[in-house]
Amino acid sequence: MEGTSEVSAAAIIKEPFKFTGKAGEFFAIWIVNVALTILTLGIYSAWAKVRTHQYFYGNTFLADASFRYTANPVQILKGRIIAFIVFVLYSASTSMSPIIGGSALIILMLLVPAFMVMSMAFRLRNSMYRNVRFNFDKNFKQAYIVFAIPVLITGLYIFTVTQLQNVLIENPEAKFFPIAMLVLALSMGLMFPWWEYMITNFKVVHAKYGVSDFKFTASTKNYYGMYLKLYGLMILIFGGMGFLLSIMMRTMDQGSGMSGAVVVIIMLFMFPAYLWIFAYIQAKRTNLMYNNLDISGNKVQSELKTGYLLYLYVTNTLAMMLTLGLLMPWAKIRTARYRASVTSLNVAGDLGQYTSAQEQQQSALGEEIGEMFDMDLGF
Amino acid sequence: MIKGSYFNGETSDKKDVSLYYKDDGNVGFEELDIAEVPLHLINISSRIGNTPRYLSFPDGSQFETEDNAAIDKMVNTLSNDPLHGLAHKLESTKGFILFTLVAVVLFGWLFIQYGIPAMSKQLAEMLPEEASQYMGQGVLDAMDKNLFEPSQLEQQRQDELRILFNDLLKNIEGSQSYKIEFRLGGKIKANAFALPNGTIVFTDELINLAENNLEIVSIMLHEIGHLKRKHSLRATIQQFSLAMFVMVVTGDVSTSSSIITAIPIMLVESGFSQGMETEADTYSLDYMRKHNIDPNYFAIMMEKLEASYSQEYVACMEAISKESNKQSKIIQCINDAVKLNKEENGKANKTAVDYFSTHPSSEERIGRFREKTSSSVKKK
Repeated sequence: MEGTSEVSAAAIIKEPFKFTGKAGEFFAIWIVNVALTILTLGIYSAWAKVRTHQYFYGNTFLADASFRYTANPVQILKGRIIAFIVFVLYSASTSMSPIIGGSALIILMLLVPAFMVMSMAFRLRNSMYRNVRFNFDKNFKQAYIVFAIPVLITGLYIFTVTQLQNVLIENPEAKFFPIAMLVLALSMGLMFPWWEYMITNFKVVHAKYGVSDFKFTASTKNYYGMYLKLYGLMILIFGGMGFLLSIMMRTMDQGSGMSGAVVVIIMLFMFPAYLWIFAYIQAKRTNLMYNNLDISGNKVQSELKTGYLLYLYVTNTLAMMLTLGLLMPWAKIRTARYRASVTSLNVAGDLGQYTSAQEQQQSALGEEIGEMFDMDLGF
Repeated sequence: MIKGSYFNGETSDKKDVSLYYKDDGNVGFEELDIAEVPLHLINISSRIGNTPRYLSFPDGSQFETEDNAAIDKMVNTLSNDPLHGLAHKLESTKGFILFTLVAVVLFGWLFIQYGIPAMSKQLAEMLPEEASQYMGQGVLDAMDKNLFEPSQLEQQRQDELRILFNDLLKNIEGSQSYKIEFRLGGKIKANAFALPNGTIVFTDELINLAENNLEIVSIMLHEIGHLKRKHSLRATIQQFSLAMFVMVVTGDVSTSSSIITAIPIMLVESGFSQGMETEADTYSLDYMRKHNIDPNYFAIMMEKLEASYSQEYVACMEAISKESNKQSKIIQCINDAVKLNKEENGKANKTAVDYFSTHPSSEERIGRFREKTSSSVKKK
């Protein structure tokens, strides 16, 4: 790999990421995007998407150079039209009959790994830094191998649960049932970290900057460590909350209008707990992934804090609820600014050493279909 | 002279350079020993806020600069592409932004309040009857499996109600496929459902609340109203259109924004649903007035339904569960619960939870039927 020979005892320079976007400026871009999208019955949405990405990429700087998003809106529009047709057909099929809807879902699920690969390739191919494109190896075979194992295990899990439920209906006294369910839940929980490691590893090692490969230095051990800690915290939080709720329910049993009060209390407790867990996972997963990215000796460093992310999510949610979404641009900008402020690149060699790859066309189809079904493809 | 960085396109190497342009339209770099290039061969990225501009040269090299003003000036002097920078002009005109803000908010409100319901009504009318039939398939089977038990009503009582129902259908056009079914509700208590394929399901618990068959007829009419107005189909279309609308407005639905959009969507959908309940009430009310049935029967039934969910009623039902001659005792229980409920309702106010409800408040609904009672001919 280029430049590795240059890495010596020479000082490592910490280059911070900088985000210079402004909420007011982005609000103007966003509201014009929305208006033009409505006026053109959705056609402008492809241009809106490109302009939004370009605003965020262009405002992100590393070592005095910006990132650039180069996707062609026409290509995105084509992808969106196809995705829309697929989405309508899928929705129609689910309301027609459970069998047709079910088979449509299975077919789509089978295509998920392929969409994911195409989507990654499209996004990275259209990301540029210092006039050198990122890239993604379209290794479909590997993608299906990575996805097949967890999909099979999940299928097996659902099958076993339904079988167990049938047993329970015939024999309601069965004592083994809760134990069996616990064992199943535990085995799923234990499998999950391994799965996430596999998928993240797949995404990272197939990514390239120019012709240089990314390396992923994390191991399954790191992922187990992170998730076991999370599970412990979740048990503490939900266990404690369940205990509190049961006490409250008992004391309020006599009062009238109880159901309304309980709903409000559950929402008051559940919502922050849910947001906290969301922020915790987001912070730890992102840090774990970025801190193990290595491109020819240059290493990313990410120091997201759960507390600050939680504060961002809570204030963003409140602001957007109170303004019915009008403050979304502000929320997006401050989130991006925070993320950039805790991310940096520890440069060991020279950032000017990377070589470009040959040009090739990418289809926007995968990315757009992925978006329609709201899959998390963030990288 | 425009200061910026030059990238040759083969490597990520960065050079600080100054770009110059001449009146003949040629562009070059002070520090670099490369031939000048005519501007029309260079792709200049359009301006987005204050993000850097990129000039892409035919040989794959690129010039990047943060000096937007200088690039704009160069584009204005050397080229005359009227579309270049149009989006940025719109995005940076304060008056235009204020105007779009008002227009978008107003449009969004009008579209959700009137556009989506009207659109789905039109579309539901246009779709063939089979569309509803397809949707209803298997719904009752699924409910039987998970929710209901077989009805415990006597066959004679069931037949009597079926005759009543069929008599109603004689006066209603296009109702050949409608049928009525009875089930023991269990957990879902006193309730009635109109399935899209024309089957109306009554729970035994609801039937037992009635002292007079006309009370049940009023609920039958409400459910027929749902069927006649194709509410299931419309609800599906409305949910779909709303999801599409939200997707268009928010751009890409990311994980964090989907939690946030969930609450407004819930509010809007319960608003749609409340509108449909009111429509079904109107249908019932119109039929009753046309055929000289006292609308008060519906009001009485609504009061009973509301009271049947109270703890007092549940407790009372438990107490009599072992006794014989149950029906008259049930009536006693429900009437007591209604009385108690009325006393309590005098104090209560509309809470925030009501806005998330799928049904308008019972008080409002009862009020509508009571109003008409006083003006209509009383006749049993």
